[in-house]
Amino acid sequence: MTSGKSIRPTGNDTEDRAVERIVRRTYESLTGRGGEPLYYALMDDTPVGTLGLALGEAGLRRLEFVKREDEFVERLLSEFPGRPLLHSLRLEPARRALDRYFAGRDLALNLPVDLRDVTAFQRRVLEWTARVPPGSVTTYARVAARAGRPGAARAAGNALHSNPVAIVVPCHRVLRGDGSLGGYAGGLPAKEWLLRLEGAIL
Amino acid sequence: MRAEQGARPPIGADAAVVPCLPGDGQRLALLLARHGLELARHLRRIVRDDDAAADLLQDTFLRAHSALGRLRAGSNARAWLYRIATNAALNHLRSRSREDAALRRHAADVAAASLAGDRQGAPAGPDWAEREAPNPGDRRQADAQRAALWARVATLPERQRLAITLRIADELDYAEIARRMGGNEAAARANVHQAVKRLKRESR
Repeated sequence: MTSGKSIRPTGNDTEDRAVERIVRRTYESLTGRGGEPLYYALMDDTPVGTLGLALGEAGLRRLEFVKREDEFVERLLSEFPGRPLLHSLRLEPARRALDRYFAGRDLALNLPVDLRDVTAFQRRVLEWTARVPPGSVTTYARVAARAGRPGAARAAGNALHSNPVAIVVPCHRVLRGDGSLGGYAGGLPAKEWLLRLEGAIL
Repeated sequence: MRAEQGARPPIGADAAVVPCLPGDGQRLALLLARHGLELARHLRRIVRDDDAAADLLQDTFLRAHSALGRLRAGSNARAWLYRIATNAALNHLRSRSREDAALRRHAADVAAASLAGDRQGAPAGPDWAEREAPNPGDRRQADAQRAALWARVATLPERQRLAITLRIADELDYAEIARRMGGNEAAARANVHQAVKRLKRESR
């Protein structure tokens, strides 16, 4: 289990709820952010580097490769204006699922994602990509065709590059037609590591 | 994933503080995002009152924000916030016990006055005056000890901090602690043991 820096939730629901109400009051009065909170956590030192996770009411909104916590937090604050952002234990189930995935124990990684802030084409690309099972790969051209734009391999590549929920939507399983790796937001070594973990390459 | 639907509490009329500059709101939000929940938990455990904890949390972040320029880059913002919060909580507890003492004196005056006015009547005096902690000094000391304990707990390594919190604040047994933290009972026991050892060492 990788470790976050904040005190963990105690699992005491009454206390957790009361504590969250207290923070939301302060958040709203000091910053004007009064909507439904967005929760985040970091996973340090995974085999593919540090990951930043953000969770909304309907599922994961972000799973990104990040360098520093502040940078990730600042980006979330500007991408989700008006919403309080909280480092929270609510990401624990997702972190545990990712730990199992990285250990090779649960490659299917069924985590709910919320893709509401992507374009229609990008959503189709991501949805088709999500159907590629671990251990398999596909190509940018094939994903583009499936998403309704045959010949738009480059556009599919761009859509995958800005995948808001890396790993969970397995954009690393999409390669070039010639079998070369193509690109990856987390860097090509990370892409290669993930494919090796899943047994897609030896 | 647990979804919790707490109704949003009303915001006190005096609570509206408008950030002076656009960048200020962002900097406060950054601190709140990173440390808000853990500090709220810390404050609530010390003062044992949600409204007071909310006021104190707001004070803590306002103070922190006004001093943000003085915080050296790379210094430990978390430890610094904990210090501000703990001091604010202790001040709150001190002023609360002063208020309690004033109330008790007032109650005694009322009782004496009503006795003087009607010497035949039953001794008056609100019974809550008697229900307060028997000795305000004892309670003050207990409050201070509790605050100091949680301040030290906050400095423990994460697993130890969680284990000891589940053990002493939530009074869970080791099997339940293991279930919530992941891992087995022996590990839970070891974490609590290490935490206690460390707290004892630090309190000497």
